[in-house]
Amino acid sequence: MGRPKAWLPWFGKTMIEHVVDTLRPVVDEVIVVTSESLDLPSLDATIVRDTEPERGPLAGLRDGLLAATTARVFATSTDAPWLRAAFVEELFSREGACAPVADGHVQVLSAVYPAVGAALAADLLDVGRSRPLDLLEALDYQAIDAASLASVEAGASAPWDGFNTPGAYLDAVRAVDPAARCEVELLGRAALRADVPVVALPVGSLGDVLAALAAGADLVEGERVARRHLVSLGGRDLVRDLALPIGPGERISVLDAQAGG
Amino acid sequence: MHGCHGRYLRIDLSAGTAEHVAIDSAISRALLGGVGLGTWLLAREAPVGVSPLAPEAPLVFAFSPLVGTGITTSAKFAVVAKSPLTGLVCDALASSHFAIAGKRMGVDAIVVVGACAEPSEWVGGRLRRTTWWGRSAEETGQGLAGEGSVAAIGIAGEHLVRYATISADGRHAGRGGLGAVMGAKQLKALVVAGDRETPVADPEALARRAADLRARAAGPATAKYRELGTVGNLLAFDRLGALPTRNFQASHFEGAARLAPERWSGERTHRRATCAHCTIGCEQRYASTRDRDRPIRIEYESQFALGPLCGVDDPDAVIEASAACDVLGLDTISTGGTLAFAMECGERGELEGGPRFGEDLLPWLDAIARRRDLGDRLAEGSRRLAQEIGGDALARAPQVKGLEMPGYEPRSLQTMALGLAVGTRGADHNRSGAYEADFSDQVDRLRGDARSVAAAVASEDRAALLDSLVLCKFVRGVFDDLEDETAAILREVVGGSFDADEVRAIARRVVDLRKALNMREGWQPTDDGLPARFTDEPLASGPAKGVRLPGERLAEMIRSYNRARDWEDDGRVPTERLAALERELGLRLQAG
Repeated sequence: MGRPKAWLPWFGKTMIEHVVDTLRPVVDEVIVVTSESLDLPSLDATIVRDTEPERGPLAGLRDGLLAATTARVFATSTDAPWLRAAFVEELFSREGACAPVADGHVQVLSAVYPAVGAALAADLLDVGRSRPLDLLEALDYQAIDAASLASVEAGASAPWDGFNTPGAYLDAVRAVDPAARCEVELLGRAALRADVPVVALPVGSLGDVLAALAAGADLVEGERVARRHLVSLGGRDLVRDLALPIGPGERISVLDAQAGG
Repeated sequence: MHGCHGRYLRIDLSAGTAEHVAIDSAISRALLGGVGLGTWLLAREAPVGVSPLAPEAPLVFAFSPLVGTGITTSAKFAVVAKSPLTGLVCDALASSHFAIAGKRMGVDAIVVVGACAEPSEWVGGRLRRTTWWGRSAEETGQGLAGEGSVAAIGIAGEHLVRYATISADGRHAGRGGLGAVMGAKQLKALVVAGDRETPVADPEALARRAADLRARAAGPATAKYRELGTVGNLLAFDRLGALPTRNFQASHFEGAARLAPERWSGERTHRRATCAHCTIGCEQRYASTRDRDRPIRIEYESQFALGPLCGVDDPDAVIEASAACDVLGLDTISTGGTLAFAMECGERGELEGGPRFGEDLLPWLDAIARRRDLGDRLAEGSRRLAQEIGGDALARAPQVKGLEMPGYEPRSLQTMALGLAVGTRGADHNRSGAYEADFSDQVDRLRGDARSVAAAVASEDRAALLDSLVLCKFVRGVFDDLEDETAAILREVVGGSFDADEVRAIARRVVDLRKALNMREGWQPTDDGLPARFTDEPLASGPAKGVRLPGERLAEMIRSYNRARDWEDDGRVPTERLAALERELGLRLQAG
C-alpha cells in the first residue's frame, strides 16, 4: 500500500476515524490495537500498542481482548470502508463467538470474540499457532452464513471487504463517488511556474495526479517525484513514490526539495 | 603552509597597540580557519570565565585558507566571541569583501581585546575617535569605505543590546550578540585594507576546480536559492505544520499565504543580488509597497521571526521591520523571538505595556535598539526577560542556552529538535542543518529516532567543515562528495596530503573543541534541551495537530547523540579527549 491504512482519506475522515466513528454508537468502548511506531489521529478510543507484532495478528487480537472491559468484543481491521453499525449489532445479537462465512472464507476480522478468549489466545501463541481462526475454532465459534445476515446486502460490498493495494483502495473510493477529487497545492518554485496555486483533480495514484497537472512532467523522474521536489500528503508524510494512492478530499503539496535555510 | 599567513593581528584597544602573533602551521592544518581557527583563538586569548562584555573578552575575526581564492562563496569570515546572550562560545559568519581585505593585511585573523576610552574606530593600523557613533552600520561603512573594508556596529551594538549584530557590506554576523561585544569595547568600526596575496599550492589545478565549481554553483543544485530564495520556505513550512507562530503556540499561520513571495506575483519590486565572490546569487530583495524604490533583502528567518512568530501577516510590515533591524543592527531572529515572547506574556497578564501580537513592530525595534523604556528589558533577550518575570515563564521563552530559536517547529521537525537542543551556540539552524533530514523521506519527522540522531551528527559535522573552510551552506548541494571534494580543494590551496578522512577528523575536532570550550566556560548538561513547552504541550492545530515530542524521547535522542560523538552520556567531553585536545592544540581547556 505504501501508506498506513489508518491514515488513508475516506470522505472527510481518515480510515481509522471512519471505523471508530462507525462503531462508536453501538459499542461501549472502542479499542484500537496498533503498532508501537504508528502515530494516530485523535480518536475517541483506547489505544493499545501491539507488544509482539512479530507474532502476527493473533497477538494483536489478544492484546485487544486483554484491554477490553466488556464480555464480548467485535474485531475488525482498519481497512473496513463498508463497515455498518447494523452489521455489528446483528453479530452481537448472536451468542458467544461468531463470525460470518462468505464464499467459504471465515471473516476472522469481522467477528465477535469473548474477552476471556485472551487467555486462550495466549496459550495458542505459546504453541506456535498465530491465526485468529485458531482462536475462533478453539472457542467453538458459531459460523454464520453471510447470506443469512439481514445487514449484509447481496451483491454489494460486504462489511469485511477491505483493500490491500492502492488500486483496490481507489476502486473503493470511486465506488462511493466516481467523481471523487483531491487537491494539489504548488509551493515554492513549482508555484512560480503555475497559473493557479491550487488545483482540484480526480483521485488516483500520485503519478496519475501529477501527470494531470499542466507542469506535471517537470515534477516526475521515472517512478519517483523529481529530486528537486518533494510531495507532502496532507501536511504529514513526505513522499516521492508515484504509486501511492491519493484519496478523496486529500490535499497534497508539491514542495521544493532542500527545504530549509 | 600555503593559503595562510601563519599569524594573527592582536589589537589591544586599551593600550592602543597592535602586534602580530604567530600561528603554528599545525594549528592551521588541524582547524583550517573560520569557526575552527576562531574558536582556537578565543580559547587561547579569553581569560577563563571572562564576562562577554568585559574589556578582557576577545573578539575574533577569523578568515580562512580559501579566502582570496577563486572558490565560489569563499569570501566569508567568522566572528567569534563569548555571547552576551548565552555566556558560551558564539560564532557568526558573514559574506563580505571584508574577508578578502582583512586577509590581504597578511593575517589569518584579527583578535581585538581591551576597550577604547571613548567611541572609536580602528583604521589603517591605528585607533582614532569615531564620528559615526549613533549612526547605522551602513552609514558608517559608506563613510569609511575610502579607507578600506569596514565591519561596523549599529545603534543596537552601541547600546549593548544582547542580540546586536556586526555588519559588513550590508551582510551581518547576526547571531549571539557579537555587536554588543564590539559595542562594549566602544569600537564602532574595524577598517581593513592590504595588498598581501596568499600563495596557493597548485594554482593551475585550483583555477580549473574553481571554474568548475562556479559553473556548478550557478546550476540546478542551487536553483531554489536563486529563483525564490529561502523565503520560499515559509508557505511550505506552514503546510507541514512546522511554521512557528505566535511564540510557538501554533505551527500553522492563517496569514502565511499573504507573506509568501511565490504568491506576490509581481505586485512589488523585486531584485536579486549576490554576495562577494559568489555565483549562486541567492539574495532576494523585495520592496514594501510604501517604498517601491528600496528593495530590502528578505530571508526566511527574518520573515518568520517578524511575521508569523509575532502574529504579523502584512508583508509590508515584515519587510519594513526587517529593514529596520538591518539599520539598527539587530538580529532578526532574536528580536522576533523576544518580542513574540513578550507578546504572549502580555496576553497572560505577566507583562504590562508590552507589544501585542499582530501590531506594528517598528516602534518596538527602535526602543530595543536604544534601550528605551520597556525596550531596555527586551534588549536582554527572552531568557533574561523570562527569569525576571518568574513563575513558569521560562518554559515558554523560545530559546536554548539563551539564544532565540530559528524558524523550525521542533515538535514537527524532531531531527531538528535534537539539533536545536544540543547546539553549542544555542538554538541554531546554521551549525545544525538537521532539518534537511526532516524535509526528506529518510526519517519520520514527527517521531525522532536513531535515524534522526545519525542525521543530526552528520549535519553538525558538515556544518563545522563548511564553517571552517569557510564556504556558504548553500553550496553544499553542489558537491557530489563534500569531504572528498573539499579535501581536493585543500590539497590545491594548502598543499600536503589532505584526504576525506582527515577532513572528517577536522570537522570532529572543531565540534569537540567548541564543546570543550563551552565546558570550560560553564556549560552544564542541563543546558542541552528544549524549553518545557516543546516537551509538555502537543501541537494544538494545523497539519501536525496532536503531534508530541515527549521529554523522554528527546532525552534519549540527546543521550544517543552524545554516545555517537564519543562523549559521556551527559554530554561532557571525556577527560582523556580534553587532555588530547589540549596537547594537540596547545590550549587550556579544563577549568581549575
